[in-house]
Amino acid sequence: MKPYPWPGDTRCVVFVSVNFDAEAFDLKTTTEDRLYGRFSYGRYGVRAGLPRLLKMLERRSIAATAFVTASDATRHPEAIHALRDAGHEIASRGADLTPLTELKDKELDALREGRDVLARIAGRPPRGFRAPGGELGPRSLALLAELGFAYDSSFQDDDHPYVIAPTGSTRLAELPTVQALDDSFAFSARHTHARVMKIWREEFDALYRENCLVPLTLHLRGDVGSTRAARIAALEELLAYMASRPGVRFMTGGQLADLALASTASAEDDPLAPHAATLAITPYRGDLAVKPI
Amino acid sequence: MTMHTKLPDEFRCAVTLGVDFDGPSHEVGRGIAPLGTHSWGRYSARCGIPRHIEMLARQGVPCTFFVPGYDAQCHPDTVRAIDAAGFEVAAHGYLHEAWDLGAEEETRLLRRTDEILRDLLGKPVLGWRSPSGRKTANTMRVLKALGYLYDSSDKDYDLPYRLRFGEAGEDCILELPNNTYSLDDFPFFKFSFTPPSEVLAQWKSEFDAIYASDRFMVLTVHPRSGWGSGTPARTWILEQMISYMKEHAGVRFFSSGQFARWCIDHPQHLEEVRVP
Repeated sequence: MKPYPWPGDTRCVVFVSVNFDAEAFDLKTTTEDRLYGRFSYGRYGVRAGLPRLLKMLERRSIAATAFVTASDATRHPEAIHALRDAGHEIASRGADLTPLTELKDKELDALREGRDVLARIAGRPPRGFRAPGGELGPRSLALLAELGFAYDSSFQDDDHPYVIAPTGSTRLAELPTVQALDDSFAFSARHTHARVMKIWREEFDALYRENCLVPLTLHLRGDVGSTRAARIAALEELLAYMASRPGVRFMTGGQLADLALASTASAEDDPLAPHAATLAITPYRGDLAVKPI
Repeated sequence: MTMHTKLPDEFRCAVTLGVDFDGPSHEVGRGIAPLGTHSWGRYSARCGIPRHIEMLARQGVPCTFFVPGYDAQCHPDTVRAIDAAGFEVAAHGYLHEAWDLGAEEETRLLRRTDEILRDLLGKPVLGWRSPSGRKTANTMRVLKALGYLYDSSDKDYDLPYRLRFGEAGEDCILELPNNTYSLDDFPFFKFSFTPPSEVLAQWKSEFDAIYASDRFMVLTVHPRSGWGSGTPARTWILEQMISYMKEHAGVRFFSSGQFARWCIDHPQHLEEVRVP
């Protein structure tokens, strides 16, 4: 497999990212006046989860990257300040969690709002972006570059960061993630935290052996997130294990993007271009999936 | 009297490994842009296939890569690399059609993918596996007309057999049945999110039972990210699985094409089945 030029004696980089997804997530299925009961798991993430996560990351001296919607940031500016003051990176997750593919001609405005609200609250514009639901529209990458973002972290197609040129004159680093290292899927399947840590340890060991990026995707939420006390404890143990391996380094999205953008590797063309003609004549069958009986 | 398939004593257990390429065709065929979370298929050519080729070469076992025609058009160099490394390339739909096709469209797409793969590699394609497992009586007629030796899509048996689809003597195709609930990676990584080590234990248990009974193992994986096995941990368990099977006396690995050829050359061992 192709080697990736990690700096110095670094053998493997762990990218701890946090999808903030508080009320913005619950509001996908309910309304403002009903953010109680089953629709308050998002609020748990801010009230109980974030302080616990921050303390744990401080104990482990790990700087993370939080992807936050303008909607959540506006509701919780003090949480954004706490993240920033603890040395974590604040990156954008759009205006709210509406998939970009549904925004049509409102997409640029939404991406700009996501950027500007975070800039105002955090004091500096976000450099990174992760799409709500991981859904990117055909123009999203070009719009992100136009808005001054340095990187996107929505794809799941590589073991290492790479660089895309969405238009002839722009460059955007891509920090691909992997579903196996996203807490929300395993916890949605109601796995125990011990089993999730078993998966992650196996995934990490193999990524480490092959000098890959280890993109850990956490959520704050009380349902499918990692911030309940027992889950934080299990996660801390895993992060300590990772840190104990020779050559492991923790980096934020911004640091990884700088590394990718400084590399001499040539930027890849717009990933949609080769498929545009076929997609134009292919009906949507996205609801077609193998479902459990 | 029906003759049941019985493999000879010259090998204790036959193993065929299959890698279903499932690149961007899987999303594009459903009208979904292969961007963001839908980019798992991009992983196949970028990382999964090279990693699988490297691992299979290290293990020194044959394997068949089932490739949708569209993916071959998008990634011709990857398909050539599979062939250059000595592995079989077989057909797997055009846009990974996971929906029912009319006979006319199906025929057109089977011919189109065949032409793409044949032109790319300069040799005939020997076999086909249905994307998603859909297949009709028409499928076999077209495959046979294209000169294919085998199909590997039916789920109705644990051993190879001759599948008869017409009255004429040659209206037969070799069937290498598979099972996408147990001898496949995606159910574990798409539905149950099973830890890789437990998937390995499950496959070993499947193999143990097969080794002790039917002696024919068809294992399928996908080189994509997401629910596939292209990533390091999952390729690693596949490698452990191959090592485990190799440790057993009398296990012989075949590409699907090689095994189909062996079956055709040894008709006395094969049951002939007519459906319906």
